[in-house]
Parts: sequence; structure tokens; C-alpha cells
Amino acid sequence: MAESKTPLLDELEKGPWPSFVADIKMAAKRKATTMDLLNVLELSYKEKIVHWKHGGIVGVMGYGGGVVGRYVDQPDKFPGVENFHTIRVNQPAGWYYSSTAMRTLCDIWDKHGSGMTNFHGSTGDIILLGTNTDALQPCFDDLSEAGFDLGGSGSALRTPSTCAGPGRCEWACYDNLQVCYDLTQKYQMELHRPMWPYKFKMKFSGCPNDCVASVARSDMAFIGTWRDAIRVDAAAVKAYAAGELKANGGAHEEHVKLDIQKDVVDLCPTQCMSWDGDKLSINNAECNRCMHCINCMPRALRPGADQGCTILLGAKAPILNGALMSSVIIPFMPREKMTPVSDELAEFIENTWEFWDENAKFRERIGEMIERIGLRVYLKGMGIKAIPQMVKEPRSNPYFFWWPEELGLESNEEEDDD
Amino acid sequence: MPTVSLGGKDLDIDEDGFIQDPEQWDEAVAADLAKTEGVDNLTDEHWVLINYLRNYYLKFGIAPMIRKVCKETKFDLKKIYELFPSGPAKGGCKVAGLPKPTGCV
Amino acid sequence: MPAKTDIGPPYFKDFMSDLVKKNYGQWLYHEIEKPGVMVHVAESGDKLWSVRVGGARLICTDRVRDYCELADEFCGGHFRFTSRHNVEFLVEDQAKLQPLIDKLTAKGYPIGGTGCSITSIVHTQGWVHCHTPATDASGVVKSVMDELIDYFKGMKLPAQLRIALACCLNMCGAVHCSDIAILGMHRLPPKVDPEKVPKMCEVPSTIGSCPTAAIKPDPKTKSVKVNGERCMYCGNCYTMCPAMPLADSENDGISLWVGGKVSSARTAPRFSKLAVPYLPNNPPRWPETVEAIKNIVEKYAAGAKRYERVGDWIERIGWEKFFEVTGIEFTDKHIDDFGEAGSYGITTLRRTTMFKFTSHIK
Repeated sequence: MAESKTPLLDELEKGPWPSFVADIKMAAKRKATTMDLLNVLELSYKEKIVHWKHGGIVGVMGYGGGVVGRYVDQPDKFPGVENFHTIRVNQPAGWYYSSTAMRTLCDIWDKHGSGMTNFHGSTGDIILLGTNTDALQPCFDDLSEAGFDLGGSGSALRTPSTCAGPGRCEWACYDNLQVCYDLTQKYQMELHRPMWPYKFKMKFSGCPNDCVASVARSDMAFIGTWRDAIRVDAAAVKAYAAGELKANGGAHEEHVKLDIQKDVVDLCPTQCMSWDGDKLSINNAECNRCMHCINCMPRALRPGADQGCTILLGAKAPILNGALMSSVIIPFMPREKMTPVSDELAEFIENTWEFWDENAKFRERIGEMIERIGLRVYLKGMGIKAIPQMVKEPRSNPYFFWWPEELGLESNEEEDDD
Repeated sequence: MPTVSLGGKDLDIDEDGFIQDPEQWDEAVAADLAKTEGVDNLTDEHWVLINYLRNYYLKFGIAPMIRKVCKETKFDLKKIYELFPSGPAKGGCKVAGLPKPTGCV
Repeated sequence: MPAKTDIGPPYFKDFMSDLVKKNYGQWLYHEIEKPGVMVHVAESGDKLWSVRVGGARLICTDRVRDYCELADEFCGGHFRFTSRHNVEFLVEDQAKLQPLIDKLTAKGYPIGGTGCSITSIVHTQGWVHCHTPATDASGVVKSVMDELIDYFKGMKLPAQLRIALACCLNMCGAVHCSDIAILGMHRLPPKVDPEKVPKMCEVPSTIGSCPTAAIKPDPKTKSVKVNGERCMYCGNCYTMCPAMPLADSENDGISLWVGGKVSSARTAPRFSKLAVPYLPNNPPRWPETVEAIKNIVEKYAAGAKRYERVGDWIERIGWEKFFEVTGIEFTDKHIDDFGEAGSYGITTLRRTTMFKFTSHIK
């Protein structure tokens, strides 16, 4: 037997967790050139350094994004991956698939590319990983013919993504799948043709458990919530107390009996619940809808029926000055205003983009812009009134500004100086 | 780094077809670069965009933001994609001889 | 045929089964029946079982076709993916549940990732396909999950534990709110190529990309100069300017961060905080990284109360105790001297006498 060319990576075929090395080898059986992906990776493993060159700007006609260019730094040695670009394909909302559609996608990718994929990329797209420049347009043509479109890249609206939602979750407080789909369709121009200072991400979570990490990962986060009483099935509460139902929705391996006082009431962050051994009482006006009690007793407690979502702005990863989480802007938008997309929702989104595009510096995310100019400037520009739900606490420093008109002075709008 | 003939000169280009020395750019180079981006004839409107990108780069050392391009050239984004189907960054900047746009993908 | 543009994604309902469409928005409750197996019950009484399978993020089309075959045999062709690269087979006929589980097990697919488990690691491309990585992604993840797979297949932890990996500070994986984050780090300033910079890069944008203003123009060469003392190796300049690479075989490596979360349950979402500033890149199996993560997981499993996430546990016992319990060395790297954007005053210094005595005080 010939000596393996990838002894280091072969090590990663061992062990119980599914092996990406095995998959690259499987793909290489269909397409020999894909073996060079493994070969260049082996070199990286040996030298402990990357062998992909910087950047790459390639694409398809009509779009300014959706493809990420990639070139290997030693094309003579690894001709199979000389140019090896990634195509981002907009995933179906909630990542639901039929085998028929999925096979079509696989056939297209085997015809045009390396056979390697990510399900899914960090933003949520289907990633078709590795093909050459000449194959991009034909691949896109076939994808489009099959009903698929590209996702976002660069300084554009990035592919919106969302959790399982009402397709398979009782906690979805608005139709997050539908609104994700509707807004993606509505903003195809912004998605495919970068036009902004930097990227803009939107993520939709059905409830505050936030399974798509929207609060940490999206410039505009939509998190489901409700404003009436938690719905209680008193008989089911008793069944949990009696140990007839598994604690924490069955999240523990052994059958654990739920201790309603210790596990639920005592851990409630607002202390708005009480348990007398027979009846669970909730002071809903004090509840901040953290989901803990509902997570503990999914058969007994459900989010209220007056549902909608909270809209937050500004999350991003560390580059440039540090990571940010999103913060509350619209405390409650009723679900009826989410689907079908209401004028109020569309105006909020579009006005926010307009304000950001007008005021941000090059490569400044909206969260960074708000840090720089102050939330009050954004709120004023948008005509949104400040409310205490927007802050954890008021400022503790005395360095704040008054608007000229609040002092009876003439407002002096800055001239556009660029 | 491949060398190709553009506008009657032998120029170094990178793998994406961007010229490597912005100082070598001239109108004949632009015309040949345009062909690589699916634009066979550069019209006056193309030149409005190319000249704007070029002059902005020469003045400030950077490519202008799209918002500014639209404002100054009076072309909307749709029009820009009609002129350069591969977009203002890949198409427009390449033909105008600017360095390859970078930034986060 | 030339592509139609702007058709958008396929409509999600076109890929759903009749049962899912019928009960859309009408689900009543769910329960985890056993690790990796959930049942959702609708108001109509209909039931849907989800069998969750861990997978590599980097998979080939034949792997996907295998999922399709399994879905055809047991799920009427319907399956989905989670936000963490797991596959979920959606079973409507209870009689097919155990046969599916048996077949998945026979094929070596790990079933789990529900409830109080460690589910699949969210990660980036790494050396496989990124241009700015300080480490690999898939190989580190494979090595960690090989070691922690029992935590995936079981639900033995006090609460769920989410691990994520990003191969550089750009953090495509947005790992900054994970119970345990694995983050690739460079440790040397960029190496400027003064001939290429003026030709390949927008010099003003490159200068502007530096968070610490360590990059200055060099009028002599029309290139830039880097003040190495101010550089904290974030790599943002390299993202802007290809002529300033900073990857390094010997000095790049991995840092570990702990205690973040995104859910609002009990406590607000939190950033992960620095636990281990540097571990070497040691392919193919990164034993130091695997060992360090395993140690944190085990100490958390032993010390936390039920429902406490890693961050909840650490906040209760105090960070000084965390470093004592885990044996992780505390260094000057752990003390913030960069601060948070827009804030004055390092908020993480202890400005009270309320600390605990640990072995750190001699």
C-alpha cells in the first residue's frame, strides 16, 4: 500500500466524532482535484500556518456579493485548488429541507464544485466550499434554475437567519420563519449589492432563549416575547411537583423530580412567583420574561398569548474596538405587525439603514456608530422617544448634552461638509 | 503574478485581474480591463463613473463609499449594475485601476 | 440558461411535511425523551419526534445524500439543521423512531446534543479555507469532541454547555458569548512589505483600521510603519491590506474564554471572559487545548448547581475561586487594559475589599 501523503490528517479520521477528513476523502473520490484541499491542509498542519492567499474578489453577473474568492499560495504544488472560491447560498428559513431539494443542490454542486459544503456557515448560509472562477456563473445559473439564490457578503445586508420557529417550537412568539423570509425577499437589492459602510446582519429568534444568538451576532435582533400573563396549566404544574413529569423538559439524563420552590421560584430573577405546595402564583406585571420557569416546565407553562417581539440594535464581534451586544430599541412590536410586514416595521428598518448609511464612517457597524455618536442622536434622528427599557441603569457620569432647542437656542444643524 | 497585455502595455495583474501598479493605468488599459468584466464598449456614462472613482482615489487614496458614488454621479445602484454588471467594486474599481477593494467578506 | 437574479431563498414551507404545515404555530409542548430525542406535541394531538445527530460542519455531498436517504426511509424525506451544525431527523411515525436510532447508531452517527449536554461546536473555516486564521478550526473541534463525546451523548451536566471556535479575532463564529470559547490568536505584529503596501492597499483605510493607532504613514516609502509596542495583533490591518501578513508558525495559537451565554434565562446574556491566554498550535490533535477544555468542563460539572451555566457558576464562586479550582494560571494578561468601546474606567477591576482568600495570596 502506498504511503499516505497526509499522515497528520489521517490521525483525524480516528475517534468517535464524525471526521471532516473522511468527508474530504469521500468527496475526492468523486472529484480528484478535491484531494488537493486535503494536501494543502496537511501542509498547514505540518507548518502550522495558513496557505490561502489574502482576499479574492470574484462573483457572478448582476451581483456584488455572494461569492468569497480564495486562492492557494502554492498553485504549482496544489493545482486542484489553485482558485477555490466559496459560494454562499441563501438557506431556507429555519433550515428545513426536503431530500428532493437537497439532492438537487448536491447534484449541482458535484457538477460545478469540489463536493465539499458547510451546513451551515456562521451567518446561516449553505456554504458550497471550493470551485474555480470559470464555474461560478454556470453554477449560479443552475442554482437559480433550481430555485436557489445566493446569500450576502461584503458591505451588504447579510443573509437573514432564524430559529426553528413555529414549524417545530411552541415558544415562537411571532412567525419568525415567515418574517425572515418576507424581509429577505423584500430586501434582495440590499442583500446582493453591497451599498453600505459595512455589513448588516439580521437574526430572528422566536423567544428569549435566542437559539440563533441574535443578541450577540446581529446588528438588528428580533427576539420574541409577550406582554400578558404566562399561560399556566395548573394540573400539569402539580404533575411536575409530584414527579410525574420530568424536570426541565427532560433535559437531565436521570429522571429528576422538579423542586418547584428551589428550581423554579427561587431562581426566578424577579422573584415574581410563589408556590404554596399546591398552587403556583405568578405576578405577571413583575415578570421580565426570562423563560426559566417555562424552560423548566414546558408542559405546564407557556408564553402569554399577546405576543410579538423586541427589536434590538448593535451587536458585533470584537473588530474594531471590542465586541458589543445588541440593546433594546423597540420594546414591543406586536406579531400582527411582523407578518405580513407592516409599514411600521419596514420604516423602522429602512430609516435605521438610512440613518446609519448617512452617519457611519467607512467600516463602522451600526453598534459602533451608536457608541461613537450616542444613542440619543440615533433616537432623535429616528424620532424615537427614550424610555427606561433602553438602559440597564442611567448614566453615572455628569457629562451629558442638551439639545439647543431645549435651551431655547436655535438648533444648528451641521452642514454636510464632505 | 501573471503579466498580460492591456491597452498595448504589458502589465502585472493579480489573480482577480486587478492591475498591480495603479500608476500604469490609462484609458486604453481601462477599455481592455472593461472587456474582462463583460463591458465591451465604454460609454460616456461608464466614463462618468470611472473618472469619479479614479479622481476620488487619486485625491484621497481610497475608494469612495457607494452612497457617495450614487450622490456624486447621480446614478442609482441599479444603474451602476447596468453599467458594470459585476458591480462597482469588482467591475468599476478594476476598470478604474484602483487597488483591489478589501475588507470583511 | 442565464440566472434569474433576486429570486431569494426557497420558501421554507415547500420543504415541510404535511404534518408540520398542519400544526404550524400550533405546538403545545415538548419533552426530551432521552439524549438526542425530543418529542413535540401539537394542540391537535399530533406528535413529531426529532432525532438530533452531531456532525462535522465541513461535510461532503455524499454525506448529505446519506442524510437524505435516512430521511427518505424514516422521515418522509424531511429533516433540518440546527444553528449549531446538528442534523435533526423529523419522525412522524413512532414505529420508525427506534429503527432510525438503530440505523444511525450502526452508521456511527452520534445522537445527542439536547438538554444538559455539550452540543456540536459552532466554528469557522480555519486553515481549511480562511485567509486570516491563527489556528485551524475543524481539526481542533474534532479533537475536542472526540474527547468530550460522552457529554454530547449524555445529559449529565448541571446545564447546557455551548462551545464555539473562531480562528481569529474577526470572530466569524461570534464566539464571544459562549460557555467556552476557543479563539485563535496571533502574537506578533504584522510584517509590512513597504513595496507592496502603496500599490495593493488603501493606505488611509489601513491606518484607520488600527484600534490602537499603532500604524502611521511612512512618507519615505509611501507605505506604513507599525509601532510594535502598541500592536495587540488583532489582524484588522491585514484584513484591509494584504501586504501586512501576521500569521506565524511558532507564535500563533489558541486562547480560551469562559462564562458567556446568549439566552436570557435567569440572567442576562453575557460575554465570555479570558481563562487561558495562550496554548500552542499543536496539530493534528491540539492536546493542550483538549486537556484545558476537559479540565474546565470537569471542574464545572463537579462544582456547579443544577441550572447554573458556566458563567453562573463562576459568578457565584468568584473568579479567584475559578482560577484556584481549575488550576489555570492567572496572569497580567487577564487584567483588562484595553477597556470596552466608549467607556471610561476599566470596569473589571475589583474596587471593593470583597474577595475570597485563595492560594494566590501567599
